[in-house]
Amino acid sequence: MDIIILLVVLVGSLGLAVIFGRYMARLITYEKRPLEKTMGQVENGFYRIIGVDRYEQMTWKQYFLAIVITNVIAAGFLMAVLLYQNNLPLSPKPGLSLDLAFNTAASFVTNTNLQHYAGEQQLSIFSQMVGLIFMMFVAPASGIAAAFAFIRGFIRKEFGLGNFYVDFTRIILTLLIPVAFFSALLLLFLGSPQTLDSTITMGTLQGGVQTIPTGPVASLESIKELGSNGGGFFSANSSHPFENPNGISNVFECILMLVIPLSLPIAYAHLIGKGRGVSILAAMMIGFGVMLALGLSESSGPAGLETRFGSFGSTLFLETSVATNTGAANAALSGMSPNAVIGFFLGMFVQAIPGADGTGMMMMIIFVILTLFLVGLMVGKTPEFMSMKINPRDVKLAAFVFLIHPALILIPTVLAYTTGSAHDTLGATTPATFTQVLYEYSSASANNGSDYLGTLANTPFWNWSTAWIMLIGRYAPIGLMLAVAGSFTLRDRKEVVEPIKTSGFLFVGVLSVMVFVLTALTFFPFLVMGPFSI
Amino acid sequence: MRTITSKVFSPAIRIVVLMIITTGIAYPLLVTAIGQTAMPSQSNGSPVILNGKVVGSELISQSFTSAKFFQPRNDSASGVDPDITPDSAVSQIPAISGATGIPVNALKTLVDLDVARNKETNALVFTPDYVNVLNINVELVKQYPDVYAQEVSAKEVP
Repeated sequence: MDIIILLVVLVGSLGLAVIFGRYMARLITYEKRPLEKTMGQVENGFYRIIGVDRYEQMTWKQYFLAIVITNVIAAGFLMAVLLYQNNLPLSPKPGLSLDLAFNTAASFVTNTNLQHYAGEQQLSIFSQMVGLIFMMFVAPASGIAAAFAFIRGFIRKEFGLGNFYVDFTRIILTLLIPVAFFSALLLLFLGSPQTLDSTITMGTLQGGVQTIPTGPVASLESIKELGSNGGGFFSANSSHPFENPNGISNVFECILMLVIPLSLPIAYAHLIGKGRGVSILAAMMIGFGVMLALGLSESSGPAGLETRFGSFGSTLFLETSVATNTGAANAALSGMSPNAVIGFFLGMFVQAIPGADGTGMMMMIIFVILTLFLVGLMVGKTPEFMSMKINPRDVKLAAFVFLIHPALILIPTVLAYTTGSAHDTLGATTPATFTQVLYEYSSASANNGSDYLGTLANTPFWNWSTAWIMLIGRYAPIGLMLAVAGSFTLRDRKEVVEPIKTSGFLFVGVLSVMVFVLTALTFFPFLVMGPFSI
Repeated sequence: MRTITSKVFSPAIRIVVLMIITTGIAYPLLVTAIGQTAMPSQSNGSPVILNGKVVGSELISQSFTSAKFFQPRNDSASGVDPDITPDSAVSQIPAISGATGIPVNALKTLVDLDVARNKETNALVFTPDYVNVLNINVELVKQYPDVYAQEVSAKEVP
């Protein structure tokens, strides 16, 4: 039975990724799409209102600035909604505190969805819908747009990286909304509620009365998984039966989480060479396979796990969710086996197996550049990528992207202990509580969003510290990656044989080992103090 | 300088407003309209109906004070897990049989039927076997109305 579930998830997500990847390749190169005329008309209407010329091209700096400004405005809107939801319609609740509102806005705009609040208790239907569902489209669309610009940097010469507003509009209107819409209907059919009421009152079998929190759950749930968001309508996230009613919804949500991250290397394959794209996909799947193997090597639960998912369904969902940096959870992390938790850390440390919508793919290319540099040093060849020389600046930027992550995890972890905040929240320092602190910052920096602490972390220290880490962990790497793409797009390319081939079994093997070695060298001591000692 | 600033901010503000309307308002409202029209039961929390009265949601656990009923788990990830494992259900059979006089075999059959029903809901392969506590208790009340008359009578509000 379990093997069938695994096969359905893998075949389903890869099969859909082939279709989506082809479509994304057309979006990247502005090729004609099915229904081009109709979609073009709608999009042109949007461009007219927005006031952009769809042919206008942006440099990497302009593109990055457009992402940041759009995201800041969207986050400002969300923060205002959360602070003043008591004055807004649809079952108003008290406004959130400043630190919690800032944390939540940062969390959703960065595609993290770390949740220091209890959704069904603290947020109004207006906040969940107009605030969070809206942001669940903005964040992944920004990530995917960045990946589009990044890929264009390698296939275009001195022609700009595209136009952010055009990419953003097309990604939301023709990719995310249609898929989220049909997925929401399927989830609805399977049992996710969809209403504008915040509660539903029902009788009980023994004649009592019960009040059950509800809302527009299905429409949030679909984009939550598709957009590698992960923020639940309920604080119990996807373990809540309204978010994830049965085994079919569980499998479907796994496929939704995987489809876009797996589509991007396929789009890349269409544009930059089949071998190169498939090799990147293979390296991602090897990493994901290691996570799954770790998680499934030991049985989890039954405490903390939902009966309808069991150990296999919970482990598969959680490893998928963490691998794609979605961060949704269909079981309590505390119910998972130590090996499964080590798998989660691996996924958050690498961020590219397959990683979040857009950024996972970019991160893997960063690993490719680092691998080419290191292997080039070993064999004494000038490293080249796609017939372009990799210069010292590229390597510096790539190394910087790689190093931001451990810095953002390890420094705050130490600060949480030296300031006493970890102790105040979790009590005595043990391998288990150290793991929880390390996990919180790994999740924040990787823009993942799964966590042990939940509402326990609703204190000014955790709210402010994780918010800034999420913001730096999101925008610094995207900026640096776009800078890399911006410098490649100016470079001469000659059609010669690459000194080190970036496709094929050998390269996939070297890349996978390199990803593992770089990650292990960086984080191993901290894993020993935490999850390895539980 | 002024034109540069407005060139950067103006499209960003406009695109955010457009997307708030499209993704934050139009999209969830459309799903709500379709759900409430075409799938009213699921849209409103999958109510279970017994004798014309709603007795709970199939998806949300409720507590049972009477020993004549199957009991839900008291730990679980979501806190509202509506299901128990077949083993847990079987282990409760002797006590329920003792409290109600219903034969052990009949209870075991009900458990098996519920497991089979849930298997069907999940296309046979997508979940481990489980028992839905509310469904099996409703089935008990349906099949043995006399035994449960007192337990469910409270809901006959005058």
